[in-house]
Amino acid sequence: MAKEMVLSGCAASAQAAKMAKVEVICSYPIRPYTALMMELAKMVANGELDAEFIYGEGEHAQLSVVLGASAAGARVLTGSSGVGVTYAFETYSPIAGGRVPVQMMIADRALDPPGDFGSEHTDAMSCRDQGWLMGWAENPQEAFDNCLINYRVGEDHRVLLPQFVCQDGYFVSHIPGKVLLPDQSQVDEFLPPYTLPHPLDPKHPVSHGPQIRPDQGTIMDLQRAQAHLDAPAVIKEAIADFNRIFGRDYSPFVEEYMTDDAEMAFFIMGAHTMTARHAIKHLRSKGVKIGLVKLRFLRPWPTQEVAEALSKFKAVGVVETSTSYGGAMRGGNLLHEVRASLYDLPQRPLTTSFMAGLGGEMVPLKDFYYMAEILSKMIKEGKTKKTVHWVGFEAEA
Amino acid sequence: MFIIPKEKEVPLGCITPAPVTEQPMMITGNWREYRPVIEQEKCNLCMNCIVYCPDACWQLNEVEDEVVWNAKYCKGCLICVNECTTEALSKAYELDFEDGVVRLEKPF
Repeated sequence: MAKEMVLSGCAASAQAAKMAKVEVICSYPIRPYTALMMELAKMVANGELDAEFIYGEGEHAQLSVVLGASAAGARVLTGSSGVGVTYAFETYSPIAGGRVPVQMMIADRALDPPGDFGSEHTDAMSCRDQGWLMGWAENPQEAFDNCLINYRVGEDHRVLLPQFVCQDGYFVSHIPGKVLLPDQSQVDEFLPPYTLPHPLDPKHPVSHGPQIRPDQGTIMDLQRAQAHLDAPAVIKEAIADFNRIFGRDYSPFVEEYMTDDAEMAFFIMGAHTMTARHAIKHLRSKGVKIGLVKLRFLRPWPTQEVAEALSKFKAVGVVETSTSYGGAMRGGNLLHEVRASLYDLPQRPLTTSFMAGLGGEMVPLKDFYYMAEILSKMIKEGKTKKTVHWVGFEAEA
Repeated sequence: MFIIPKEKEVPLGCITPAPVTEQPMMITGNWREYRPVIEQEKCNLCMNCIVYCPDACWQLNEVEDEVVWNAKYCKGCLICVNECTTEALSKAYELDFEDGVVRLEKPF
């Protein structure tokens, strides 16, 4: 029977991996993601999960181990945080290019500036262009669900891409929340067994990851680009099936909250969405017409869905939890893509961005009120004065 | 949709049937600057060249009882020359051969 439990994001991800019948796991410790491996190690030790549990000697090894195992036909899981994610960077492109659908859980941690352990999306965001599917969970329930959804989409033969399944460190990975654990039969209905079109098999030998010629490189880039063009249809199918089987109400790419009559909106992903919802509730009670649009998949970026969702507002504030030093907007990464998505619209909302939740800082209600104030001012003045606001550090609004 | 010309097609993820003898998708012989040359009468069939070649470009011809060089794939690393126990192998400049690889005609 389906049951409700109170689990941290890491524990929820472990439960999901167990129900997905993951076969090979490779670990290397770094907080905050480590709690995932602690849970899985316990499950394997207690005989609840029949999986190979391998200790990597670093994150590069972790990814290499799961690449091999996945290429041999095993459903795999690995994970990391912060500098662990960047230590394995070399492996991300060949895994995606080789079309091996490994899953990596990232519980965000700030990259060293030096030595920060708080949550910040920059670690995973730095890897966003390597061809992996990618998205953030807002809470432990989504951490659980996204694990299953990503296996389903990534392993689909029309897609065959690895997946970064991200959750904010601590805010999601360590703060327990209600998680509805489904029946195994529901998971089995949703997630077919993993197969690869050309697995490593001594009876039918194939070469994976061979040296290629430069004139083959473009074609392989094209294949990966095509997979990202094909993925949205598969994501839609998977989400529809997920909603039907598990009784959820997910929209595939962007989720809207209190946007019906909203003049302005936050564009946000991950843990701080929860605080934003509460801020919006309070602001609404004071008559501020504000809502939010939450991004569920960063890769493939849902250009059309973002444009459609945001086009109805007068002003949009992108909440950035990552840095893009020296970038066009002088702030984070999301505003670049949001603006690019809106560019061809006949009528575009005013857009700006807010640097918030960096280095593991909380984004309290008052910060969202401040952002709402800026958005109101932009609407009143009819223009974007600044493309980035460092919340709490601005000389003037 | 994209159009990929037939002659440029690459299998998904470049996952190819494992070569039983040769991999036609990856000819590396034109990387050579030097090639190993064998003097068969000095060779005692110690098989070091076969064992040490990273690309399996030395093979034993059991009928003739001699080792045979594969010009199509030998990159000219000369490890075999180094490992040869009887100095049967020596290096020779590629362009001194009539069929020598003209490296710049197609660089890869």
